Amino acid sequence: MSFSFIFQLLLNGIIAGAIYSLVSSGFSLIYTTNKVINFAHGAILVVSAYLAYLFFNIIGLPFVLASILAISLMVLVGYTCSKTIQKLRKKNVSTAMLLLASISILILIENGLLLVFGPKTKNYALFNTIHSIEIFGAIITPLEIAIILISSLLLFLLYYFVQKTKTGLKIRAVADESLLSESIGISSNKMKSIALIIASVIAGIAGILVGLEFKIEPFMGTGLIIKGFTGAIIGGVTSITGAIIGAFILGITENVGIAFLPSQFKDAITFMLLFVFLLFKPKGLLGGIK
Amino acid sequence: MIEAYLVHILILIGIYGILALSLNLALGYGGLLNLGHIAFFGIGAYTSAILSLHGAPLIIAFISSGLLTGLSGYLLSFASIKLKEDYLCLATLGFNFVIYSLMLNMDFLTKGAKGIAGIPRITGTIYLIITTSLFLITYFVIQKLTKSDFGKSLQATRDHELLAQTLGKNTLLIKNKTMACSAFFAGIAGSIYAHYIGFIDPSTFGLGEIILLLTIVILGGLASLKGTILATIFLITLPELLRFIAIPSSILGPARAIIYALTLLLILMYRPRGILGKVDLA
Repeated sequence: MSFSFIFQLLLNGIIAGAIYSLVSSGFSLIYTTNKVINFAHGAILVVSAYLAYLFFNIIGLPFVLASILAISLMVLVGYTCSKTIQKLRKKNVSTAMLLLASISILILIENGLLLVFGPKTKNYALFNTIHSIEIFGAIITPLEIAIILISSLLLFLLYYFVQKTKTGLKIRAVADESLLSESIGISSNKMKSIALIIASVIAGIAGILVGLEFKIEPFMGTGLIIKGFTGAIIGGVTSITGAIIGAFILGITENVGIAFLPSQFKDAITFMLLFVFLLFKPKGLLGGIK
Repeated sequence: MIEAYLVHILILIGIYGILALSLNLALGYGGLLNLGHIAFFGIGAYTSAILSLHGAPLIIAFISSGLLTGLSGYLLSFASIKLKEDYLCLATLGFNFVIYSLMLNMDFLTKGAKGIAGIPRITGTIYLIITTSLFLITYFVIQKLTKSDFGKSLQATRDHELLAQTLGKNTLLIKNKTMACSAFFAGIAGSIYAHYIGFIDPSTFGLGEIILLLTIVILGGLASLKGTILATIFLITLPELLRFIAIPSSILGPARAIIYALTLLLILMYRPRGILGKVDLA
């Protein structure tokens, strides 16, 4: 096993981690504030990817405009989601039921997309030729570098927003003690909505990035939300930083793992990791730390 | 022709009925948030298929699939016993993903995505009789179980675990036994399914099928076996009606998934206790 081979796998792992972390951070942000295990988060990824496809490939808008339009629509989706959750909460719907509802929504939307767009995979066909770059014998494309940079930037902004801004502080307060924050005049429902909208926007961007790097297909949301939630569980679903770290651990483990196991076990590695953490360290690596 | 079709529907109702009844034992009577029930179905189906293709007589394959699945249910319960609510949901869902990916990746045993074909089949009226008998046995065993002392302790554990413990009940053991029993019947259903269809692949045991099962149990109502039976008949027959309006088969699959997901969503929103439910989903 050569150094460049391992380095290539490590690089692939970082690219995967960059994508997974965009999903897991939002998943964790929603869980901590809204207390919902939101599988419908995967639906946002796939809807955004298809909307960008609709605006760019079918309607013919410029790609940047199409993406911005798709991502802005995710604000609306996020807002609707949060209002729905709050409405259900008022009816005393339990967390388990909300989890089931979110899985139903994911399946509903993915199958709906399958009916509308058909089973054939799509891609934006934005780049005709791909010039790859070689670093230490490993190959990376400019798009992959862009994915890593965009992801890092978004995660940094998210971290800055949650940790350093006033609204971020309010969101953390609501996450810790929803009732107590209300008593000092914070509108907990508003903070929950803001958190869900931010998570949705990040997921929307992730969906388009995945569409650019791989392809768009109706069931990509399920695959990605499973990775995202596995990352969140590994790092600790109650900590956004943990969820990000967990996503990178997952991405790197499943890619470097191929060096030691047949490549078809890539997904099996993910799920083994998930299962081991759920059973032995359900709070994840950073779950206990605030 | 129409007769053969009717037999087919009834056999499906029998298979999914056994699955749903056994899930209701864990979910409804035990309050155990098991989202991995379809994995048990899969373990049963694969065990039976692999054994019978290696020359085991059907009856041996059938019984082994129940026992092995029961064991895996016990082990899953034993391993996840400390987990509560959300995390139990996630662990059992994770278990499902693990089993799914093993089916997909252990090519030497499961033939991967291609699935296992050529499983010895029994079809027709004789299989309807077998399936119906097993369905009735499942119903009466689970009914008897829930009315027994064990069943009462189980429901007490669901409603108030600490109180059940102070009354000297070993609640952990009760939960483990329940999961084993629930998994056993799911394994049996898997075996019946494999020898009926003659072909299995991982797609039968995915996320969509979990939703179907949960929809059946929640529509019928938690802790109501009669409700489960009604809901099974209703939900298995419902998408079949689509066949009569002559829509292409490429639409049938997604339409079926949409019907189930939409039904579950509507029940959760408007009638969380389903038709005959006695308890809420914790």
